[in-house]
This record gives sequence, C-alpha cells and structure tokens, in this order.
Amino acid sequence: MTQLSRRAFLRMLAVGTGAITLEQFLAACGVKPPSSVAPTSTLSQLPTVTPGEASSPTATPSGAAESPTALPPGAPDLVVARGGDPETIVRRALAAFGGIEKFVPKDASVIIKPNICVAYHTYEYAATTNPWVVGALVKSCLEAGARSVQVMDFPFGGSPEEAYAISGISEQVKAAGGEMVYMTRFKYVSADIPQGIDLKKTKIFGDVMKADVLIDVPIAKHHNLARLTLGMKNLMGLIQDRSSIHANIGQRLADLTSLFRPTLTVVDAVRILVDNGPTGGNLSDVKTMDTVIVSPDIVAADSYATTLFGLRPEDIAHIPAATAMGLGRSDLQNLKIEEIAA
Amino acid sequence: MVESEAGSKKPVKKRIWKGRPTGRWITARKVAQYASLSAFLLFFVLSRRGGWPGDLVNIPMRLDPLLMFTHLLSSRTFLLGSTLALLVILMTVVFGRAWCGWICPLGTTLDIFSLRRWRGKRLPPQEGWRKLKYALLLTTLVAALLGNLTLLVFDPLTIFFRSLTVAIWPAINQIITALEGLLFQAPILTGPVSTFDQWIRPSVFSTEPLYYRETLLFASIFLGVIGLNLFAPRFWCRYLCPLGGLLGLISKFALLRREVGEECKGCSMCTNVCPTGTIDPDKGYASDPSECTMCLDCLETCPRSLISFSPRVSVAGWNEYDPGRRDALMAIGTAVAGIAMLRSNWLAKREPSHLLRPPGAREANPDVVAFTKCIRCSECMRACPTSALQPSVFEAGLEGVWTPLLVPRIGYCDYSCNACGQVCPVQAIPPLSLEEKRQQILGKAYINQSRCIAWSDHRDCIVCEEMCPVSDKAIQLEEAQVWGADHSQVTVKLPHVLRERCIGCGICEYKCPVNGEAAIRVFVPETAVSF
Repeated sequence: MTQLSRRAFLRMLAVGTGAITLEQFLAACGVKPPSSVAPTSTLSQLPTVTPGEASSPTATPSGAAESPTALPPGAPDLVVARGGDPETIVRRALAAFGGIEKFVPKDASVIIKPNICVAYHTYEYAATTNPWVVGALVKSCLEAGARSVQVMDFPFGGSPEEAYAISGISEQVKAAGGEMVYMTRFKYVSADIPQGIDLKKTKIFGDVMKADVLIDVPIAKHHNLARLTLGMKNLMGLIQDRSSIHANIGQRLADLTSLFRPTLTVVDAVRILVDNGPTGGNLSDVKTMDTVIVSPDIVAADSYATTLFGLRPEDIAHIPAATAMGLGRSDLQNLKIEEIAA
Repeated sequence: MVESEAGSKKPVKKRIWKGRPTGRWITARKVAQYASLSAFLLFFVLSRRGGWPGDLVNIPMRLDPLLMFTHLLSSRTFLLGSTLALLVILMTVVFGRAWCGWICPLGTTLDIFSLRRWRGKRLPPQEGWRKLKYALLLTTLVAALLGNLTLLVFDPLTIFFRSLTVAIWPAINQIITALEGLLFQAPILTGPVSTFDQWIRPSVFSTEPLYYRETLLFASIFLGVIGLNLFAPRFWCRYLCPLGGLLGLISKFALLRREVGEECKGCSMCTNVCPTGTIDPDKGYASDPSECTMCLDCLETCPRSLISFSPRVSVAGWNEYDPGRRDALMAIGTAVAGIAMLRSNWLAKREPSHLLRPPGAREANPDVVAFTKCIRCSECMRACPTSALQPSVFEAGLEGVWTPLLVPRIGYCDYSCNACGQVCPVQAIPPLSLEEKRQQILGKAYINQSRCIAWSDHRDCIVCEEMCPVSDKAIQLEEAQVWGADHSQVTVKLPHVLRERCIGCGICEYKCPVNGEAAIRVFVPETAVSF
C-alpha cells in the first residue's frame, strides 16, 4: 500500500477546488443569472398559459380577453366567494374560473406566499393567513397536477419555524401534501426591476423567479403606513431589505409587484384585522367576513379588498401607482366581478 | 476490578503507537470520551428554542457539582434539579477524577488538541502550580458563601458552552452558509444543497445568522485554554480547573486506587505517558488520586503489566501542593477583599440605564448588577432565538461579567418565546409561562426625536409602531402638520411611546431603520431619559 503523502493530498485538494471553481465559472457563463430572467418568461414555455404580455407598462388591458392568463371568454376578472368553511369558499371561488388548472399547468412548480408575518398568535387573531385557505390552495394545485407546491414566508417577529407552526399553516400544508420551505439566507439574489420607477434593484428570494407559478395569499388587515396590507404588500416578504420599501411605500410596492407578477392572488378575508395591525393580538380587532377574493390581477384583488374596510382603491397609495404602471386594474365598476354566496 | 491482561508478567511490547499507549481500556475510555462529547454537543444543539425541553437540555450544567454547590451556597435555595450533581460526586467517590478523564467535554477537547507535537520535550511547570486550582476553588466557594458567583466563569462547562454559543457555533454557521452559497451556484448541486439546507436548518443551525459581540475575545479564551497544552499536557486540568480541584479533593477518599506491583524495574514509561504527570518515580511510581484522571494510559503502557486499579478504603496522603490552612485563609481573604471592592464599585450604587436583563430575571435576582443567582452557563444565550441575550463584558462591571444582557440592537425579545427561563438550570431567569413572560417589563422605550426619521426629517416611517407586538400598541402615531425647513407644510405620522403599555421587548429598537444607534431605545425601567 502506498501512503498518501501530505503533498499529494494538498495537490488533490487544489485540483478539486479548481474543478469546483471552474464548474461554477462555466455555470455562470452557461445559464442566465436569475436576476435577468423575466418573471413571466418561464410561463411562456408552458402549455395552457399564455405569456403575461400584459406586463408591458403601455399595454393596459381593458377587457377580460387581455388578462394575463388564458381564461375562457366570459370568465370573470375577479371572483368573490362568501360563506361556509374556508376550504369550501376557496374551492367555489376557483371553480368560477374553471378550476385552478386554468392557472397551474400540469407539472408546474408552485410557490404559495401566505402572510406569516409574526409568530405571536394563532390564526384567530387574523395576523397571519388562514391555514385552511392555504391548505385548500395546496390541495387544488396538487390535484391539478403540480409537480411541487412550496409554501414560505419570512416573518419579521419570531423565527420562521415558530411562525409556521403557530399560524397553523405548517400543519395544513403538510396535510395537503405541500412543503414548508425556510427562506434561507444564501438563496437571496440581487434582481433588477426593469419596470421599476423608484426601486430599480433589490435582493429577492431567488427560487420565486425559478418557480412556474406564484400564488400570493395575503390576509386582509390593517397597517398604519400602507393603511391596509393586501396582495402587493404581502410580496414584501420575498425580499431581503424591507425597510427600503417604507421610504416611498406606494411607488415601491408597485415596482416590486412589476417584478413578481403573481399568477394568482387570493385575498384571505375569512377573518380580517381592522386595527392594531399588522401584528394584532386582540380579538376585538378581528372581524369575521368568511370571504375570499380571487383574481389573476393582483391590483384588482387589492382594489376590491379595500371595500371590505369601507375604503376605496385610491385610498391605498400603491394601488393607483400600480394601475398607472399598467400592472392591473382598479376600476372596480368596469370589472367583471362574480360574487358567489353560500 | 480493573486489571491488565491477567497473570502475564512478561515484558509486552507493541503497546505504543505514535508515542501514545493503546489497549482495550484506552479504547474504552476514548469511546466514552467521544460519546459524552457527542452527547454534550447534542444537548447544546437541542437547547436552542424549539429543541428539547429545557429541563432536559440543561442536564450538563446540573451534573456539575461545582455549579450546583456554589449556587446552593450563594442563593441559599435548594433546587431539586441540582441533585443530579450527586451522580458525579458519587462517581468520583468510587472512581476518582474519572469525570475529568472520561466525560468532561473540555477535557476531551484538550485531549483531541493535545498539541503534543508542538510541545516537544518542554518540561511542565513546578509541582507547586497545582495549588492554583485549589486556590481558585476555595476562593470561589468562599465568594459563593458571600453571595457572589463571578468566579464560575472559570468552570470548565461554562467555558466550553460559552465558547460554543458565542464564538464557535456562529462561526461554523457562517462557514456553512458561505459554502452553501458557493455550491448552490453549480447547477447540478442546486437540488442537493437545497435539501441539505432544509435538513440542517432550523434543526441544527438557525435560518438567519446569529450575531454576538466580542466573539474574538471568547474564541481567544477558548484557544488560550487549549494553547496552555503547549506547556504541559492538560495544563488546564492539572493546574487551573476549579471543578478538577473539587473532584480532586473528593478523590482523596476514592474507592478505586492505582497500585504498582513490587516487581517494578523502574523503567519510567508510566511516568512519561501520564497526561497529568502525577506518577512520581521518587515515590515508587505512586500517584496522587487527586491528580489522576483515571485515563488508564499507565495501565496499558506498563511493559510488565504491574499496574492495577483495585478498590481500597483509605484516605490519600496530603501533598505539598494540596491546600492547607494557610491557603484556606488566603482564599477567605481574597474573596472577602475582592467582593468588598466589587461592592464599592459605583455600579453597585447606580444601575446603568442600558442594563436590560432577560424576562423576569430582574425580579428574581436580588442585585440586578451582580446578577447573584447566575452561574454563567450561557444556556439562555444559546436558547435565545434572536441572539438578543449577549454575555455582558463591562456593562455590569467585573462582578456581573458574562451574565446575560439583553441588547436590543442585536436582537429583540421575541413575543412568542419564553425559552431562556425554561433552560436556566438555576432559575436565575424564572421559568415563566408564555402568558406570564409577555407581562414582564424588561424596560421602556424612548424616542430620540433628533434621530427619528419622522420627528427630524418629517418623513413617514412608522416601523417602530408596525413592529410593536403588544395590543393595543404601545407606540401610537400622531398625524401632525409640521413646517419643513423650506417653509412648506407637510403631514407626517409622528410616533409616541405610551410608556404604560410598553414591555421593553426592544423590537422597535432592533428594527429602527436609522443606521448606528437606533432612534428609539429601550432603557431599564424607572429611567428618566434625556438624549
């Protein structure tokens, strides 16, 4: 037996390290970095979903036919379902579009982004998205043939593992066959925001850009700066430097929305928080609405949700900003809204 | 009891491998050492919040008779959990300092990093140095009787766990994160790295990196203890370790005794191999049970197999370096004078305004600055999920050195967490339920209006209000019309702290987007603040 000398060992180590470095370099040359991959480009390669060409800022869609997904003619722009248990509400709302299959192609990788902002309270306090709403979406995606469904958020108060558990979302997602993912530090990548007006660049959770489908599942609740936190505000959970948004929250949230362009927005208004948001903690601030708003148009979904609080879309600074950028519609009176009661 | 291969008195070679003895007993000891080191590491990993229950993960501390006994002396409260230390005492009464040779995680670390090659043939210090550990032990005990536990910073378990918590584990976490980030770039490794990451986080490492102050200081202390091996094998255990001293004194009565057969030809191989250097050729190769760690190296080294360990009821002789009356008097003098001086320190009169303590600890410790019940084990800092709890360096003076301090700019007290009180082995931080812990007043927040974005720059920020976990929020926003510098009137949301609602969790200070010192700071209760 020949013994491996230290010198030979070091040589092997150097060659190995060199190989890894080379591979990295080649990988960097061969594949576009995530930041340059447009969010909708992956969608365009998939069947049954047409590319979200409406994302160009000039082409503001004015009719259902031009909405970012290939829905049958006559499909609603937005569905509001009310009454019953959360899962039933979600299922009825999705059925009005012809099922989640209209948004989730077979074999798609799906990321669901609920609002799990704190680890402080159970879902009754309406600080975090209703776990059954998230569970129902996971089930629906898997039934539609999704390859994987990952659910994630990064709480600002408390650790992710506690927040996942206390919110009840972890339990429902796992029962439904989905996966709770921790948004680990090294997966954040710097991303350009080509359409951004004020925010041009930020660090985002890279996997979101690689996923085929992003479903934004905010809970409708009070927030003192944005007034309400809804779908667009919920996207803040996908970036690293959140305090940068506060400086000009209206425009910057719209800029962020232009980057992520969720395939579907599902506003959980089963229980809404009307004061002391976004953290909550007092049941007297919670109002039971048993309502879920679903739309492929995030701006429309947010706009409609303002009415639940007795506000108008233009009261929330980021809604007009996003409308001006052509990211969606806030003219509720012209939208085709389907309301489903129990 | 323990005997080398029976009967054979012929010289046997081949027991030395690379300068170290080998044999069945040594293998057994090494297995025990690595198993207990792994167990201690497991306890360490699982003592993070969300791991195992606190009463389970703090077992290492409760096994330590020095920590438990001094706490009993100092607090004069008996904790049922501390009786676990009797196990180690019992073990010592039977087997001598086997804790040091077979179990102690710091001892095992010193064996792994023995630095034998670098030490060369350097001679160890004089025998008199062995006295140091007894001096330290006696001073620690007298100080404890006077209600001071500062010297427990020299306990081997607190050194081991503190270094691990504050320096080593966070550093390993950084290295792993960097490696993951590097390997993740390679397309073929993306999947495996993701899987690996979800596997180790949050079960072994935190999802977000944890930060500690003075990590280099704590790493240096740990490396220093290892570095002492350059002067003598297990320098720390021979000359300094106060727990070793305590177990050594008990070992004077130990049942199992090392004996050397009469046929000994005086080859001195056992003397050379003994890691604590206690086998004296001038005394017929006898050893001092107080110094012997029962490593059994000599047993396996002896070419004639003349060494045996067998039970015998006796009291070992007193050596010159063993503590005497004079040493006891010195220890009493040192402790009394030292404590008198510490108590004359001005900190004892005026509590610093930023001396925030873990939830409930202020009420549980009669003297907040000295933190009189704390055994410095750093379990709370390990459990704290946000690394808000930091070892104090100078803030609490010398007397309170390395007691836990809440530093909101580094981490906040998580509203959903009560882990520190659960893991504390001596209830220096009381074991509060989550509901009780939420009621604890850690401090009160004050806004520095000259730094605040809203107050000084008239721009909306509201981060402190948004983060405030209490309901109704302790920070309220006043919508005010203010005059800007350019004589234009702007509307801005100005934050105000409603002090009676504030619990001092510090999340406002932690999240305040102002760089450097936060524009909102938490001070100890009853502090009137002007910036």
